[in-house]
Amino acid sequence: MTPPPLIEARSLTREYDGGAVVALRGATFDVRAGEFVSITGPSGCGKSSLLNLLGALDTPTAGHVRYDGHDLAAIDDLAAFRARTIGFIFQSFHLLPTLSAIENVQVPMLESGLTRAGRRDRAASLLGAIGLSHRCHHLPAKLSGGERQRVAIARSLANEPKLLLADEPTGNLDSASARSVMALLQQIHRDRGMTVILVTHDAQVAATGTRTLAMLDGLIVSDTAAPAHGSGQES
Amino acid sequence: MSLLTIVFKNLRHRPTRSLLTAVGITVGIAAVVALTGLASGFQKSWEDSYRARGTDLILARVTSRDPLPTPFSMKVTDTLRATPGITATGGVLVDLMSIEDSPTILVGGWEAHSFLWTHLHVDAGRLPAGENEKVIMLGSIAAEVMKKKVGDTAQLDTESFTVCGIYTSESLSENGAIVMPLGSLQALTTKEGMVNFVNMKVDPSLDPDELARLRERIEKQLPGFETFSTTEVSQANIAVQISKGMSVATSLIAVVVGAVGVMNTVLMSVFERLHEIGVLLAIGWRRRRIVTMILLESVVLSVLGGIAGTILGVIALRILEWTPILRGRIAPDLSFLVLGGAMAVSVVLGVLGGLYPAWIGSRMSPTAALRYE
Repeated sequence: MTPPPLIEARSLTREYDGGAVVALRGATFDVRAGEFVSITGPSGCGKSSLLNLLGALDTPTAGHVRYDGHDLAAIDDLAAFRARTIGFIFQSFHLLPTLSAIENVQVPMLESGLTRAGRRDRAASLLGAIGLSHRCHHLPAKLSGGERQRVAIARSLANEPKLLLADEPTGNLDSASARSVMALLQQIHRDRGMTVILVTHDAQVAATGTRTLAMLDGLIVSDTAAPAHGSGQES
Repeated sequence: MSLLTIVFKNLRHRPTRSLLTAVGITVGIAAVVALTGLASGFQKSWEDSYRARGTDLILARVTSRDPLPTPFSMKVTDTLRATPGITATGGVLVDLMSIEDSPTILVGGWEAHSFLWTHLHVDAGRLPAGENEKVIMLGSIAAEVMKKKVGDTAQLDTESFTVCGIYTSESLSENGAIVMPLGSLQALTTKEGMVNFVNMKVDPSLDPDELARLRERIEKQLPGFETFSTTEVSQANIAVQISKGMSVATSLIAVVVGAVGVMNTVLMSVFERLHEIGVLLAIGWRRRRIVTMILLESVVLSVLGGIAGTILGVIALRILEWTPILRGRIAPDLSFLVLGGAMAVSVVLGVLGGLYPAWIGSRMSPTAALRYE
C-alpha cells in the first residue's frame, strides 16, 4: 500500500490585482515524503507563486494545499508551522548582513525553544556538516556567493524541518558554486531523507531532482512522475 | 545569540544614525533631569527652610502665592498667641536685595528672641541682641559669596550694617541668605510693623483632626488669611509652581521631540530592512517577535540616550550649583524619583517611537517583503 502524500496540491489558483494577473491556473499534484521535485519553467510561469503557496507564505485564490493530511488554510499559526516544518532557501540568500554565519543559522532557532547554548551548538554542527566551520564568525559580506548559499542551507535546516523549499538556489551563483550547492542539496536529500522542492528555470539544475514538474503560463504542463503520482492541472 | 544580539547589531550597523538619535535623546533627557531636579530641589529647599526652623504652620494672606507675599500687620500675632494649640509664633519679613557687588540675596527679618533663631548653628560671632540692633547675620554661603566676616560692614540699600555672626542652617536657601532682626529690616524697607508670614509652632500632642480644626479656627478668626503646612506653602508658592510647570512642559516637549526622532530612525531602519523582515517571517518568526525586535531597537536606543542624558543632566546641575551666580541658591534634587523618572521618560519615549515602525514591520506579508529589494 502506498503511503499518503506529504503534500497534496489541489486546483491551486493564484490571482493578483483582482484577477488582472493570474499566476496559477489550477495546479494539482502530490509530493510524497522523500521526493526531490524540481519545478521548472520560464520566468513568469508561476513557479515562485506555487512555491509561496506550498511554503504557507501565501494563500491561494482558489484550491488548497494539504500538508501531511492537514489543510494549510485551517492552520491557525502558520508562522509556527513554517518554523517547525519547512526550510527555505532563496535565490538571494537573504542572510542578515549584521550577523555572522553562525548567528544567521541560529535565527530560525529563536522560535524553537532551544537554549542559547543549544542553539549555538546546533548551528556549529550544521556549519561543520557543510564544511564551513572555519567561516563561522564571518559576516555574509566576507563570504563568497557559494558560501553564503551554503550558510543559507544550514539555516534552512536549523529546526530540522521535513521539507526544504528552494527558490532558484543557484540563480546568483557561478557554475562551480552552483554545482557545489546542488551537490549539497542532493546530499541532504539523500542523507536526511528530506523532501526537497526546488524551483529553477535551469534545465541542468532541474535534472538534479528525482522528478520534474514543468510549468507554463500558470499550468503544470508536464510531470516526469505522471501518472503514478497523480499529478495534473485543472484550468 | 539572542534577540538582543540582533537588536544591538542592527543598531550598530548604522552607527552614525543611531548615535545622532541617541545624542538627540541625551540632550532631551539631560534637560528633563536638569529642570525636574531644579524644580523639585527648589520646592524641597523651600520646605526645608520651614522645617529647619521647626515651623508647623504658616500664616499668610489668602491672595499670596508669590515668594514674597503681600505684607500685613503683625498685630495678628496677638490673636495667634491667644489661640489655644499655638505654642509659639515668629513674624518674618522677607525681601530680595542687591548688596554691594554680590548678586541679589534673600534678606529675612526675623522677630527677635523668637523660636526662628534657635535652629541656626552660629559658626562665628553671635545672634542679634535686640529687635532694632543694626546688625546682620550671614549664612555660610552668603558670607563666602559676599566675602564678609564677623565685624565687617555691609551696605544694605541706604544703610550700613555690621556682620554680627555667620551661621549654618539645614536649609540651603537659608545658608545663602541674610537674616537680621525684624525691626531693623522693617525700618530699612519702611514696612514698620509689617510681616509677610507668621511662622507658628503648634502643640505637638495635636492629632491631624485637631490640627485641621485649629487651622479652621485661625482662618475664621482672621478673615483674609490662610494657614499652610510647610509642604502646602511650598506647593502653593507661585515660583515653585512655575518651575514645576516649566519642568513638566520641557519634559513633554523632550518626549515628543525624542519620540519623533526615534520613530524616524527606527522607521527608516524598518523600511530599509523590509526584505529581511520578510525573510524572518518566512522562516517562521511570529509577528510578535518582529514587533518585539523593533520595539527593543527603539527602546535600547532611547534608554542608551536616557542613561547618557541622565549623567549629562547631573553633571550640568553640579556645574550650575558651583557657578558663582547660583551658588547657594539652588539645591538640585537628584533623588531616585527624579533620576528614575527621567529614565522612565526615556523608556516611554522609546516605546512611543517604536510603536508605529513595529506596526509597519509586523503588517508586512512575507511574500511582499521578500519582493521588496
